[in-house]
Amino acid sequence: MSEKKMLYLHPLPIRIWHWLNALGIITLCLTGIQIRFPEYANIFGSYRAAILFHNAAGIIVAFSFSIWFFYYSMSARNLGNIYVPDGEDIKHGLLRQVFFYFFLYFFGRPNPHHATPDNKFNPMQKSAYLAIMFVLMPVVSLTGILLMNVSPLRELILAAGGLKLLDILHYLAACSLGAFLFTHVYLTTLGHTPLAHTKAMVTGWEEEEDDHE
Amino acid sequence: MITAKKQMVLFLTLTLLLTLLAPITRASGPGFSMGGPEGKNGKCLDCHGTSDKVGSKYFIDPVKYRHTNHAKIGCPACHDNAVVAGHPAVKKASAKTDCRFCHTDIAGEYAKSSHAGKTSCNGCHDPHRAKTPAEISGSDINKMCAGCHDHYGITASHAKWLPQAELHIEMLPCITCHTGSKNYVINLYIINRQGIPHLGKFEPAGHDELKRLAGGKSILSLIDINGDNYISLVELRSFNTNPAYTGLHLQGMMTPETASHSFQILDNRRDCTFCHASGPGAMQTSYIAIPEDNGTFRKIAVEKGAVLEALKSTPDFYMTGKTRNSILNKIGLLILLGGLVMPVGHGFLRYLSRNIRNRKDNGHE
Repeated sequence: MSEKKMLYLHPLPIRIWHWLNALGIITLCLTGIQIRFPEYANIFGSYRAAILFHNAAGIIVAFSFSIWFFYYSMSARNLGNIYVPDGEDIKHGLLRQVFFYFFLYFFGRPNPHHATPDNKFNPMQKSAYLAIMFVLMPVVSLTGILLMNVSPLRELILAAGGLKLLDILHYLAACSLGAFLFTHVYLTTLGHTPLAHTKAMVTGWEEEEDDHE
Repeated sequence: MITAKKQMVLFLTLTLLLTLLAPITRASGPGFSMGGPEGKNGKCLDCHGTSDKVGSKYFIDPVKYRHTNHAKIGCPACHDNAVVAGHPAVKKASAKTDCRFCHTDIAGEYAKSSHAGKTSCNGCHDPHRAKTPAEISGSDINKMCAGCHDHYGITASHAKWLPQAELHIEMLPCITCHTGSKNYVINLYIINRQGIPHLGKFEPAGHDELKRLAGGKSILSLIDINGDNYISLVELRSFNTNPAYTGLHLQGMMTPETASHSFQILDNRRDCTFCHASGPGAMQTSYIAIPEDNGTFRKIAVEKGAVLEALKSTPDFYMTGKTRNSILNKIGLLILLGGLVMPVGHGFLRYLSRNIRNRKDNGHE
């Protein structure tokens, strides 16, 4: 058996950001369901309540996204290292990681990626988070801000192609984020114990080996 | 000397003559006539159709008046008793006919409403330019309301409970929520920027500018390509994607199918799902409102389901929860189900391979 070494992987601001986001995104998903399908879902009592919670959670998540962007790109200056796959990741790392998750994992083989504070995501995660943090989150946040302020921002809405295009983008980006949420939560259970990664996001400390998520 | 008998005969003859001549004298001042049945308004509008002659207070816009149903019954129908001997030389204020004589049902409905006693018919309606509910735009209806109800005050009071209050007040005629009307349709108005180029506010485009844009042809030809007086979804999409019309947009307003005067504050309108929930056949009916030269709008039927289409039919009309597109609903569901592939598929294989992985973890291999 190998010796377990603890790594301080998630600094406090990131953990606060993560759980704030988690609460916000779950609220957004549930309220979003009620807002789009009010005849089938009445989770928050009234439609108005769903709108108000959705708006509040949207503002928090959009603000939190801005903080995240600022923290990584301005303070930590390692946004690229953590979230953008490099040449090696694309050429070999991605395939290796897919092969691990969908084949080697079932035979108990070790994860080819070992997380470090500066390189904590495997190539698959990098690709996924790149799409999420640089495409889906900006799209869902910006369209949400416009949809939340239709009257004052009407000029921008018309310039962007109209309300319906914004709604489509907002809705499809939200569905994509919702779909990712299922995968994300599942992948957190692939640590050396099902709750290992979740605990790491609470305490900040992660066991170095057997890193899957 | 005239005898008492002759005096009596003279008195009765004069009385009879005056009685017979009285109506003629009253309705016909010097050089003045109401006109015959075919030209009931002609003589009046000779003067009242020109502001220079009667001043702005008594000016009746002939173009707008002639369109009204009131013009069909003519000036004397309401003003018969008003024209005094000597008119127009005698400038006496006219006593008007009570609207209730003809509009009995509306008067009864109005009398029970929260507006009763607050203002009369003339407070909202100018009988000389009255439009039918089908002919008036939603924003014109709101301008009538704004005569008493201050826009900013109303917006502020609604904002206490209504999300995006300003948007609701701009995009809904007040009567949509504040009357007991049933059944609602979507009226689509052609809007463009008014006033300062690139900076002016978007408002319904006027008849003249749209006429110019149509090259002198009917305004409807901008949208109704085949001229069948009906707007298909193909024609609607074509209008919205035509580069020649990039400055024009379609603005939708949800209005009651039939107008009501039962003004009131209805608690069920505070439940957003009154409007923001879809149901069987919801929002299927819509019209394009074409501005006419007399200030009215002509409504042209649009193919069913235009506002429910995903994008191109009505790109700037969307009512959350109400006009959601069914194809997009299915695409969204597929995306979400896609997100379950990994947990379900991988999780299943993980379960099947649990013994192999456990052996490995326990160092048996």
